[in-house]
Formats: sequence, C-alpha cells, structure tokens
Amino acid sequence: MTEIAATTPAPVKSGGLGLRQSQFKWLLVVPLIVFFCIFFVIPVGLIFATSFNPSAIGQVAPTADITLENYIRFFSRSNYLMAAGRSVVLGVVVALVTLIVAYPMAFVIAKTRHPGRNTTLLILVLAAMQLDMVIRLYGMMVILGDNGLINQMLLGLGLTSEDAPVQLMYNFLGVVLGLVQFALPFMILTLVGVIRGIDPSLEEAARALGASRRRAFFRVTLPMSMPGILSGSLLVFALSISSYIVPALMGGFRVGVLPIHIFQQVAEGARFQFGATIAVILFLLSAGAIAIYLRVGARRSGGLA
Amino acid sequence: MSYVEFQGISKQFGETLAVEDLDISIAQGEFFSLLGPSGCGKSTTLRMLAGFVTPTTGQIHVHGRDITRLPPEARDIGIVFQNYAIFPHMTVYDNIAFGLVERNMTKRDIRRKVEAALEQVGMSGYERRFERELSGGQKQRVALARVLVIEPEILLLDEPLSALDKKMREEMKFWIKEIQRSVGITTIYVTHDQSEALTMSDRIAVMEGGRVLQVGTPVEIYEYPASRFVAEFIGESNLLSGRVQEVTDGRCEIDLGPAAVPAQAPSGAPLSEGSEVALLIRPEMIRLHKVSEDEAPMLEGRIAEEVYQGSLRRYQVETAGQKLTVEVANRPDLPLRSAGEAVALYWNTESGVVVR
Ligand SMILES: Nc1ncnc2c1ncn2[C@@H]1O[C@H](COP(=O)(O)OP(=O)(O)OP(=O)(O)O)[C@@H](O)[C@H]1O
Ligand SMILES: [Mg+2]
Repeated sequence: MTEIAATTPAPVKSGGLGLRQSQFKWLLVVPLIVFFCIFFVIPVGLIFATSFNPSAIGQVAPTADITLENYIRFFSRSNYLMAAGRSVVLGVVVALVTLIVAYPMAFVIAKTRHPGRNTTLLILVLAAMQLDMVIRLYGMMVILGDNGLINQMLLGLGLTSEDAPVQLMYNFLGVVLGLVQFALPFMILTLVGVIRGIDPSLEEAARALGASRRRAFFRVTLPMSMPGILSGSLLVFALSISSYIVPALMGGFRVGVLPIHIFQQVAEGARFQFGATIAVILFLLSAGAIAIYLRVGARRSGGLA
Repeated sequence: MSYVEFQGISKQFGETLAVEDLDISIAQGEFFSLLGPSGCGKSTTLRMLAGFVTPTTGQIHVHGRDITRLPPEARDIGIVFQNYAIFPHMTVYDNIAFGLVERNMTKRDIRRKVEAALEQVGMSGYERRFERELSGGQKQRVALARVLVIEPEILLLDEPLSALDKKMREEMKFWIKEIQRSVGITTIYVTHDQSEALTMSDRIAVMEGGRVLQVGTPVEIYEYPASRFVAEFIGESNLLSGRVQEVTDGRCEIDLGPAAVPAQAPSGAPLSEGSEVALLIRPEMIRLHKVSEDEAPMLEGRIAEEVYQGSLRRYQVETAGQKLTVEVANRPDLPLRSAGEAVALYWNTESGVVVR
C-alpha cells in the first residue's frame, strides 16, 4: 500500500489539492491494483515458485530449492499429457457448442426492441446464473443420470433395457453438457452486447443493395459479431478448462482433465509442488488461448487498418 | 405521368401516427424533396418506399407496379443513410462491390464497375481503405457510389448532409445535384433544411405532423406558401395578421389595424370579406425610405434594432403594432438607418402574399 502511494508521482505545480486531473484518475484504480496484487499476483507467483521446488509431501510453502523435476515428470508421463489434451479439447468443444446454442438466443434478445420483452428475456438468461453451480449440476443429474428422466423415458418406450441405460453423464458428454449450461449465460451476455452494437442501418443498407435477410445476416451481421464470438469463446474456453466442479460431478472423476489431477495431487497426495506444476500448465494454456485471441483480433483490426 | 405514386399511405407506430393519408406522385427523373421539422414523418415515408417499413394503409406504385409489400431487396431502390452505413468490416472496394456480388456478376465486371463508380465520385485510389479511414465527405461519396453502381430505379437520400460541417455541406449540395442530373435518376431527398430543399429540388413536399401541407416547386413554396406553417418554415418571414377588407378581381385590401394595404388575392377558393388572414412579406422584399410626402408608403414605422450581418443589414421595424424584419443589401448606395429613426416601408403589391 505504502509502496504504491510512494510511486505515485509528486503533484506538479497546481495549487489547492495539488492533484491534476490525470493523476487523480490514476488514484481511482489503486484499490483494484491492491486487490489484484494481494489476491491474484501473489498467490499465482507463489504457485509458480512452488512448481519449481522438489516434490516433498506435506510441504506447502515454497523453498529455495530449484528444480525442473516436476515439469520433466509432467511431460514424460502420457497420462498427464493426455489430460492436458483432454482439457484443451473439452474447452474447444464446449466453446463451440455454447456458441452455436447461444448465438440464436443472443440474436433474438439483441433484436427485441420492445423494452419489457427484452428485459424479460435477459432476466431468464440471468436467472440461470442465480443458483449455485452445485445445485444446478444436481438438477442436471436428475435429467441425465442412469435413472434420470431421459433414461426412464427411454426405458418406458422400450428403447433401452434396465441394465444398459444410455450413458449421458459420468463421461465426456456429461462434462460438456454441464459446462455448456454453466457457460451459456456468459456467452449470451457477451454476444448480446456486440450484436446490439451493430448499427441496424448496416443490415438495411445490405437489404437495399439486394441481399436477402439471410444473405445480409451472413455478409454483415455475422462478420460484425466476430469480436463477440471471439471474446465469448475465449471466456468460455478459459472457464471450461479451469473448471473443477463440473468434471468432478458430471464426469464422476472419470474424465481426467487437468483440474481433476490438480485436486488429486494436492488434496489426496498432499503433493503441492506437482499440483502447482499442473496449475502452471493450465494457466499457460489459458494464456496461450488469450495470445491466439489477441493475434486473431490484431489480424482482424490489422486488416481493418 | 407519375413514376412513384403514394396513394393514401398511413403509418401507425403503436400510438403514434407517423404518416397520415399521404398522396404524392413523383415524375421520372425528378429531384423531389420531403421537407419538414424533426419527427414529421419524412424518414418513415422514405423507409416505406425502401421497404423497411410496411404502411398501415395505402399503396405505393413504382412505374405502375404495386411494390407495397415487396421486401427491400426486390425493389431496385438505392438508399443513402444519414450516417452513410458504410460496412466497417469491408474495404471501400468491397463496399461498392456489395450489390454487384448480390447480383452474381463476374469478378471482371465487378472490378470494371467499381472502378468506374469510384471515378464518378472522385474516389479513385481509395479502394483499400476502411470506413474509419475516411472523412465524412469521403464516406458520403462512397455511400453514393455503392448505391449508384447498382443502377437503381430510384435514389433515396435521408438527410445525407446533416453529418457534415457547413462548408462541406454547401459543396456536397451542388455535387449531389450534379451527379443526380448527369445520371438522370429519380431522387427523393429527405431534409429538415429548407435551403437544401430550395437549391436542389425540382419539387418539394412540405410535411408537418405526418401530413403533407403543400407540394410545389421551390418558387411556389417560397413565394406562395399555402399556410402559415409553410410560410414560417421556409425562409425568413414577416406574417402580419389582418382582416380582408375588400376583394376585387385578383386584388384585395387587407386591414392591418392602423393601415390597410393592397395585396394579391391568393389562388384557389376566393377570399371572403371580413375573414382573418395573414399577410406574408419576405424581409428582402421591403424597401426602407425616409418619410416623405411624395408617394404613400405601405406602412410607416420606427427602427427598433439594427444587426450587421456582413452581406446585409437586418433591421427590426416597429409598425402596425408588430415588429417587421427588413433585410437591406449592404451596398454603399443604400443609406444606413439607425435605431429610433422613423422610416417609410414600401413593397410591391405582388410581394404581399395573403396566407389563410
Ligand atoms: N420504428 C418506430 N417505432 C415507433 N415510432 C417510430 C418509429 N419510427 C418513427 N417513429 C415515430 O414516428 C414519427 C415520425 O418519425 P420519422 O423518423 O419519420 O421523423 P423524421 O421526419 O424523419 O424526423 P427527423 O428529422 O428527426 O429524422 C416520430 O414521432 C417517431 O417517433
Ligand atoms: Mg429522419
């Protein structure tokens, strides 16, 4: 705290409060910086540091011993590499499915001019976020489980037998479904903002130039929603690959993605160092996705320049 | 023979009656303006012709064909929006090629046409630019090229100059008119700026509250406004309220209170004696003289205020219990008047127009 105050440049020449407008503006972000340091930079820094310590069961705090053995272990074991691949595939699949489901809904909300109806639709979307994740997942289990509504219906219709229910959860599919329902509101809200920002006269101009409603959508509206599609997908990807609770409950620990491995290392094996290593790799995957996003975004705006 | 025909067109948005019982016919090749204050229904009228708004009642015919229910893409009508609506994710070239691509032209034909269109609007060399790299005037040119390149039957312009600065506006006014004349395209121009409408149009429809008040050439609209609203909306105006005193063939006497003045009787229904009317005299039609015995003036008054405006001087003259605005060209041979001076006001009888 004092450090930050000390690095704030001393007020120059103006009297009174002795603060110029621009310096004052910087002060507004001080709470954020403090919060960010205490609750993000420092913990993440500690995890980074720990990941380079030799494995010692029960040892939590980082030590001065530096080694790469955890990373060597990670990259030489196929089950960890497969877990990393599974996480990436999961993130990509969830982002795509969520996008396909969310876009039409977001489009309808964005194009609903009537203020009352618009608010109602948004409340419906947000209502999905009101309940805790665990409760929502148990709700899904009621539908998707081996004795769930869908399987009971299939059984009733005589399409399946009692001892061979259709596996809708405790597998990759279940995790995808759980993550999609978790990620939908985020994607919808991101897309609504972007689609609403598209000037309606652009679509009208396209129509008057001879484009059908469909053609105008594909030539104008969709390309102009690209920033929302990219940032929404990135957000969902990051949420998906870092989620622990959904693979745990919907995958029943059978879908071994990175967060599951972290939990097993830390909570079951008390191997904080190796857990930290997996966490760092997970972090780098997210960072990589952001880098790709920025690259694509830059190419698009580079193209625009 | 009318080319575009609005027949009994109305548009209701919920509670608002945006356009009410509109009948307009526009000839082929005509430059037709819809002029009126904000919210009077100009854009709605234009958008009904473009196909973005479906009329509540009435029909629109173009070239004898009923297009009232056709979707916009089936109408062959080009529109330039107030904000130009250049596609920001496409280059200038792709913007102009947009309509040609929709018409499934070959790449070679598209290239040839886009280049010709850019040349026509003086934007050759800007093919690779994006919308955000263009000035307002350049966007305007691109928007116009994008529409003209598809050779539509009708060109619609919705306040295309209002986003430009004054100097640019003057320049583009003549440029648009010139392009329109050289292409010979039927054009409907929406504006709330009477000077744009007067300089550019072949005919003008003055609208207010969703209704058309008067349709006529700029001269008819300016010199023979059919109502007080039109008289006040178009140009500077002095409206003196009075009573019809005497009507003789083509002429009438209007009693303004302290004095009665002769005026031209309006065309249309004959004036009835004793009815309340307004006498319109444009500020530039009034001459100021020293009070003398030689010739009986129309009115006598006193200068209340003088404003210097560069090319002219504007006087407020108190007369007949009202204030009149008088504009005098700023020429050395015309004497200066100062506040408080008694003056005689003259104008030609034809310059006094009776407005009901
Ligand atoms: N889509 C709409 N929904 C509801 N009301 C509308 C809609 N479009 C226009 N209106 C209303 O119809 C009336 C006429 O609007 P219009 O846009 O035609 O006016 P305008 O003459 O073009 O005005 P301006 O000069 O401000 O552009 C206004 O009262 C407006 O509020
Ligand atoms: Mg308008």
